[in-house]
Amino acid sequence: MATREAGKKMIMLKSPDGMEFEVEEAVAMESQTIRKMIEDDCADTAILIPNINSKILSRVIEYCNKHVPTTGATGAAASDTVAPAALAEDLKIWDAEFIKVNRATRFNLIQAASYLNIKGLLDLTSQTTIDTISDNSLEEIRSFLSTKNDYLPEEEQTIRRENQWAFQ
Amino acid sequence: MQCRGPFAQRRHPLVDDAVVSGIQRCVDNGTQFRGDLLNFRKDGFPLMNRLHLTPIYGDDDIITHYMGIQFFTNANVDLGPVPGSVTREPVRSTRFAPDNFFRPITTGLEQDNFCREYSSLFQLTDEVLCQSILSRLSPRDVASVSSVCRRLYDLTKNEDLWRMVCRNAWGSETTRALETVPAAKRLGWGRLARELTTLEAVAWRKLTVGGAVEPSRCNFSACAVGNRVVLFGGEGVNMQPMNDTFVLDLNASNPEWRHVNVSSAPPGRWGHTLSCLNGSWLVVFGGCGRQGLLNDVFMLDLDAKHPTWREIPGVAPPVPRSWHSSCTLDGNKLVVSGGCADSGVLLSDTFLLDVSMDRPVWREVPASWTPPSRLGHSMSVYDGRKILMFGGLAKSGPLRLRSSDVFTMDLSEEEPCWRCLTGSGMPGAGNPAGAGPPPRLDHVAVSLPGGRVLIFGGSVAGLHSASQLYLLDPTEEKPTWRILNVPGRPPRFAWGHSTCVVGGTKAIVLGGQTGEEWMLTEVHELSLASSNSV
Repeated sequence: MATREAGKKMIMLKSPDGMEFEVEEAVAMESQTIRKMIEDDCADTAILIPNINSKILSRVIEYCNKHVPTTGATGAAASDTVAPAALAEDLKIWDAEFIKVNRATRFNLIQAASYLNIKGLLDLTSQTTIDTISDNSLEEIRSFLSTKNDYLPEEEQTIRRENQWAFQ
Repeated sequence: MQCRGPFAQRRHPLVDDAVVSGIQRCVDNGTQFRGDLLNFRKDGFPLMNRLHLTPIYGDDDIITHYMGIQFFTNANVDLGPVPGSVTREPVRSTRFAPDNFFRPITTGLEQDNFCREYSSLFQLTDEVLCQSILSRLSPRDVASVSSVCRRLYDLTKNEDLWRMVCRNAWGSETTRALETVPAAKRLGWGRLARELTTLEAVAWRKLTVGGAVEPSRCNFSACAVGNRVVLFGGEGVNMQPMNDTFVLDLNASNPEWRHVNVSSAPPGRWGHTLSCLNGSWLVVFGGCGRQGLLNDVFMLDLDAKHPTWREIPGVAPPVPRSWHSSCTLDGNKLVVSGGCADSGVLLSDTFLLDVSMDRPVWREVPASWTPPSRLGHSMSVYDGRKILMFGGLAKSGPLRLRSSDVFTMDLSEEEPCWRCLTGSGMPGAGNPAGAGPPPRLDHVAVSLPGGRVLIFGGSVAGLHSASQLYLLDPTEEKPTWRILNVPGRPPRFAWGHSTCVVGGTKAIVLGGQTGEEWMLTEVHELSLASSNSV
């Protein structure tokens, strides 16, 4: 690990709408996509994140900041003294708070987590959607996905028969 | 360079997904494809790859070849993070839908194009939708959402998606095992997911194999390595402990038992366990040898050029024993539980050994309470690092009785502890819910994808049939036993030590009995998935 204050390498992340975010390299490397770029020497000090706007990118950085496994940019005091179990519990509570966002933001976070390849964030953001799909009827899923039943009646019959096993 | 699989993890964001899925459709449906794909030279310099793909049909309307024509032009694109590309001039690219419908689009860097807001889940690309949502659903839920609308139906027809679904639902180890057998390829992952979920295709089949295991023996141990069955040791005439190794390769068109020349064989033994680790390693532990009970560990890489048994000197080993139970964890740990120690004392301990370490050290799983000591029970692994113990001959006050109790322990917990899942009259046990299996020992326990356990065979109390199958899902809120009736002719006897699961889709039960003789060329197979493509 690098020393605490001095010698921390910083990386500039740029969103396409022109905002710049300076973050520690370790934080940026929570994203496997960015890690790969840095390791392959594809990154200068500034990286353009092509398809994530500043609003979403700032939330992603917030998440990475919290989850980076070091002495912690967020709470330097928290990590040295507290047991790992308590730390994990703390993170869980933080995550639950973090994910209290509207649907659109959540979908954008899914897209961002997927592109940036941040497994924890992807798990967190997609779980609510997965639970919704698992627990609801087809009609409820359609309304959740804002989509319509676009099958012809006879097609629907066939597909229903094909997937009968799912409903047993 | 572009990783063209539909769910490639490392595709550059400027590569048009629609072009990639167009290529996929061409290959899947036999349509023509023309389009421009952004590609990269080895040095990372972007170039446009104009592709023309045409399926060539043979006489019987089956695609025999694809003809592909490509040529490259310089791509004038801003790759953002890649240094050295500074032009910000939007580039026009043309793509053709497979029906040759001409749709020119701009893949420039206009901000709204790349800062798209997603207000509905359906605006996510197919890849993200599959990778982050659909692949994490259970097989049943994936099949069910295909009834929602056409787009989801099309997405759920994808084999790559089903493979991810299977991997996420069953774990990568199970999926890897399934990959080694022809079933996955033949049936396809979608069908396999269905059959292993519903168990609709489970059936018994009897087969006769060639070769011989000689001298004849009993109380050996069998284990599967890929599609091969390996047999080690056993008890010959006059309780003679054996130390030879035999292999039955089920990939062969006429499978036959073959004696394998293995150097430095361990001391002969019976009542030991043989487990497979990490693909092709076999691990032997304990049993009864010429000088009494054993607690040594030997390993063999079956695929090595010159297979050689090698002793693993584990520090602080458990007491010598036979008729214990073993399973493997994480691809590198051997778990040993219970068994029978010197002068017939039953054991209740659980030990772990990481055989991949240079100087492996046995570790006893500390538990404030353990299930009553026993032998001839089964240990299965489910849900990653949870173990399930069933049955055996267990100490019950001053007596030893066959048991039908189920205990589980989560080894991923910091302080793992035994829990009683279902059973008769155990403290804290639920009622023996459903139609539970009669108490038994030296039975067969088959771990099914998704954590379910299938129990049959063994020495069963009373007049119950040993071939009846019982199913339990320990991950349910209230686990309930279920009877599984399957077609085909079951074996009259099935013993834990002479049964193994091949590739996650077949339980192979070795041995039929004619009078006193134990016939190892007679094999029963419980296939969990259909053997013919559907």
